[in-house]
Order: sequence, then C-alpha cells, then structure tokens
Amino acid sequence: MLAKYLLRRFFASIVVVLGVTAITLVLMDRTRGTYVPGIDLNPNLRPDDIERLRANLGLDRPFYVWYITWLWNVVHGDFGRSMIDGSPVMSHILDRLPNTLELTATAILIGVVLSIPLGVIGALRRGSKVDHGLTVVSVAGFAVPQFWLGLLLILFFSVTFEQHGWPWLPSSGATSALGGGDILDRLEHLIMPATVLSFFYLSLWSRFTRSSMLEVLSQDYIRTARAKGMGERRVVYLHGLRNALIPLITLVGLELPGLVSGGLVVEVVFGWPGIGRLLFERALQYDYSTVMGVTFFATLLVIAGNLLADVLYAVLDPRIRYA
Amino acid sequence: MSMLGQTPATEIEAPISTFEGAATRPAQSYWNESWERLRANRIGMGAGILIVILGAIALAAPLFTQFLTHYEPYRLDLLSTFQPPGHPHLLGTDDLGRDTLTRLIYGGRVSLGVAFLTVGLSLTLGTTVGLVAGFYGRWVDDILMRIVDTVLSIPAIFLFILMSILFRPNPITLAMIIASVGWGGVARLVRGEVLSVKQRDFIMATRSIGARDLRLIAIHLLPNVLPVLIVAASLGVGQIILIEAALDFLGLGIQPPTASWGNMLTNAQSYFFHSVWLVYFPGVTIFITVLASNVFGNAVRDAFDPRLK
Repeated sequence: MLAKYLLRRFFASIVVVLGVTAITLVLMDRTRGTYVPGIDLNPNLRPDDIERLRANLGLDRPFYVWYITWLWNVVHGDFGRSMIDGSPVMSHILDRLPNTLELTATAILIGVVLSIPLGVIGALRRGSKVDHGLTVVSVAGFAVPQFWLGLLLILFFSVTFEQHGWPWLPSSGATSALGGGDILDRLEHLIMPATVLSFFYLSLWSRFTRSSMLEVLSQDYIRTARAKGMGERRVVYLHGLRNALIPLITLVGLELPGLVSGGLVVEVVFGWPGIGRLLFERALQYDYSTVMGVTFFATLLVIAGNLLADVLYAVLDPRIRYA
Repeated sequence: MSMLGQTPATEIEAPISTFEGAATRPAQSYWNESWERLRANRIGMGAGILIVILGAIALAAPLFTQFLTHYEPYRLDLLSTFQPPGHPHLLGTDDLGRDTLTRLIYGGRVSLGVAFLTVGLSLTLGTTVGLVAGFYGRWVDDILMRIVDTVLSIPAIFLFILMSILFRPNPITLAMIIASVGWGGVARLVRGEVLSVKQRDFIMATRSIGARDLRLIAIHLLPNVLPVLIVAASLGVGQIILIEAALDFLGLGIQPPTASWGNMLTNAQSYFFHSVWLVYFPGVTIFITVLASNVFGNAVRDAFDPRLK
C-alpha cells in the first residue's frame, strides 16, 4: 500500500519537476531577448566574439534543445557551469546552501520551540490576559512586512546602538569580513535575520497549536481520561498535546520549501550570502545554468517537504490511510 | 508565504461540517444569518470600515492632496529635501523633496488597487479551473491538478523575478504576475468543495431533468462554492499587499517615480542616519492596512465559513 502510494507520488513528482524547470527556462528565454549572459563583463567584445560566446553557451539553438541537453546532463549528475563566472553550478549551490540552511533551520527551530509552549498556554488559559497578549503578538506577526521588520531591527540594533556606543549587532553578511568566522561571530550575524524569519513562524504555529489544543481538549477521550481520575498534567501533556501536535507537523513540513525561497527577502535585507539571494542575482543576469540548478533543487525541496509531511502525518495518526 | 486559499491554519482548524445545523431559531437564509453574525463582530466591522476609509482616501487622492497636503506626488523640490515631519510637510519630505504624505496617499492607490485586482484575477481563474476540474473529474481533473501542483511548486518569488523582467510591471501587469501564482490555491480549494457538493442529491436531481453541464456548473455548483470564495478573498487581501510591497521593495514591482508603499522603502537604508521617518511611515501604513484586512478577513471567515458552524 505504502509502496504503491510512494511510487505514484514519485511519478507525479517527475512531471512537476519537468514542468517547473521548463516554465523557468521558457520565461528566461523569452525575457532575455538578444542579451547574452556575461556580455557586460567585458566592454571590448566585438560582434563575432559575442556570436562565439552565444554559440559556446548553446544559446544559438532553440531553447528546447538547450533544455533537453540540460536534462540529459542533470540525469548524469552534471549541472553545468555558470554562464557568468564559469565555475560549476554545483559549487555555487554547495557554497550558498549551508548559509541558507543555517538561517532558515535556526528560524524554524526557534519557531517550533517557542510556539508550542505559547500555544499550549494560550489554550489552557483561554480568554485570560496572557491569551489576549499572545493573540495580539501573533496577529501583528501576520501583518508586519518582513523586510520592514528587518530594516527596523538594523536601524535600532546596528545604527542607533552604535551611535550610543552600546554593543551593536552587525547589519549585513553571515560573518565579519576581517577575522570573522568563529562561532560567536556567526551567531552575532545570525540573531537579527533569524529573529525576523522566526517571528512569522512563531505567529503561525502558536495560533495553530492553540486552536488544535482547544479542539483536542474538547474530545471525548480527554473527558474519559479525566473521568478515570488521571492527573491534569498527564491529561494535558500525554493525551492532549500529543494529539494536538499531529497537524502541526504537516504545517512545519509545508515550510520546508521555504528553506530556499522563504528567506529570500530576509537574505536581501541582511545581505545574507544564501541561496535565495544567489537566485535573485543570477536571474537578473540571465545565468541560465545557475538559475535552473537552483530551481531544480528548490522544487525537489517543495516536493520532499509535502511528501514528508503527508507520510509523517499518516505514520503519527493511525486514523489516516493512504488513498 | 501563504497566498490565496492556502492558509493551512484556517483550513485544518475547521471542524468537520455538521450536516444541517440544529434549528433553534426560525430558519433564515444563509446570507442573512452570516451578515448578522458579521455585523455583531465589532472589531471585525471596525477593521472593515478602516479598509473602506483607506480605499476612499486612495480613490480620492487628488482631492486629498489638493486640499490637505497641497503638494503633488511627483513634484521635485530640491531645496527642501529631507524635511522633518511638521510644518509645512506633515510627514516630511524624501531625498528629492517630495511630500511623504502625498506620496503615501498616491501609493495607496497602487498598493490597494494591485491587491484587489490580484484577488479578483486569482479568484476568477482559480474558480474556473477548480469548477471544471472538480466537475468533470477523470483525466481533465488529473491534467488540471498537475498544472496546479506545478504552479504551486515553483518558488513564487522566483517566478515573480522572471515575469517582472518580461512584463516591466505597471499595476495591472503586476497584479497579473502575482495572480499567476495565486490562482493555484483557489483552484485546489474550489475543486475540493465541488467534489463534495457534486455528491449531493440535488445535483443528481437537476441532472435527471436534463440540465446541461454549463447550467449545472454556473447555477448549481458556483453558488455553493461562493462562501469558500468569499472567505479566501477576504483572507487573501492582506497577504497580497505584503507580497506586492516586498516585490516593490526588491525593485521588481512598481517602478519609480510611481509611488507605492513598497518602493518608498527601497532606499530606506540610506536614510538611517538622518531621516528615519522615511523608514517609519510607509512601513506603518503597510502594517496597519494588512492588520485591518486580516482582522476583517478573520471576521468574514467566522461569519461566512459554512464549515465553522
């Protein structure tokens, strides 16, 4: 049953990956016009140089030939070289991916670790001042533009703090350019972008934990547990929380694709050398091979995230069956 | 970032629909009852009124700027750049001496206009696809839903980058760009509704008296999907405003000199040392607008969502 289900999902995923990469390439090809990637790096190019460049990059052929060649190479594990700087696309991705994962994984971790207790408190003290306060915070978290929150943090903790001579946080990058790179230095750079990213997750998941918890606590099996004299603490945490968390896993799984694209705006604001910014910069330069490589990985992540969420959901909740 | 129809929290937290609600009061039409519930929600109604006011200000922008701020949004005044808030510029001026309040009011036209247009476009396309996929099922459903999966699997921001280079966004093309992703969630939502409505007896009855497909879809299925659409639309506006602002901020959306709330913040980092109000005001405006839309959207959901009864 499970094998058949996974097989079907696998074939559906292939269609999606082909679709996404094809759409990406067509869009790039249509928008490029006569521009050749890298053309503006050297002002002394003559027309026949440009022609040769175009032929070298494979841009003189129709886009579907380029696409099939690219697919063929990808199947053989070769993602090609960047059209701008000539270094392998894979090395670009491996260079940037750890930074992005550091940022987004921290944000998701903070989000999960804080939102579950906050959601439980909100549910257990429904209608209290604490509950109302938490509601206000999470409603704000949904409404604040991430890039603006980032700007405000930089304004206060970098600019204003520095002006007052207080210890301030670095506003840009993942490490200091000079003598940076130790764990403390990375942490200093991580604080603000991770805060901005996790604020949204926190708002979403704490609301969700709260309502899920409220729903579970009104179930018959909770009443049964109480009726048989089980301690309140055990009822809430063993029977209540465990069941309330099941749907949350789906939600967290759905954020996995955000590991790549969700942090893009934050990466731009904080000058974070992540994969989202790589995508952003290279798309503006029509670096086909880099853009296609990153899109490919990002799409795989989306699919893996959805699948993981579905499978985990079914594993954790025996009431759900694969259809 | 979730878009239209993709607010998982709201979808999952809805309890399974009860068949016919217990009739404690005399039967009222669904619309009357929902409207009464919405009106009773004071905070929600307050937020709704705030949105209407913001929309009215944006629509009447020339009127406001002529009689209130006395400035034009694109008139440069290089002798009075970076004026702090006060007199004569209520919210100060920017790097080119343009009046901030005037530009905020005009920016509202763009930001709100794009948001509403996007929601409209996403709903139209998403509903059509969802209705067709859900109604015809089989291979039509398979193909359409595979397209939806594909659209929803592209990192949205990335699609926006490419399309914004292609279309050189003005407000209308920008709305089309954002809607090109937004419709996917709506289509999924509508399809799900259609699948459940299709099983009901009245569809079978209508079909048995010889109704054509188009009639079934337009007159019998669509009205039953409407509540879900209203909810998706009202919850979507705030998210769209945020997405639009982020695109403008990145330089991918509305291009200067046209003012939008997002692109007024594009150069914000260079104002940090002398003119922080240029960072505060556009952000606060976005924040308050999105906050009001979300609160109103939640109120609409509580009132209209048939699954929440």
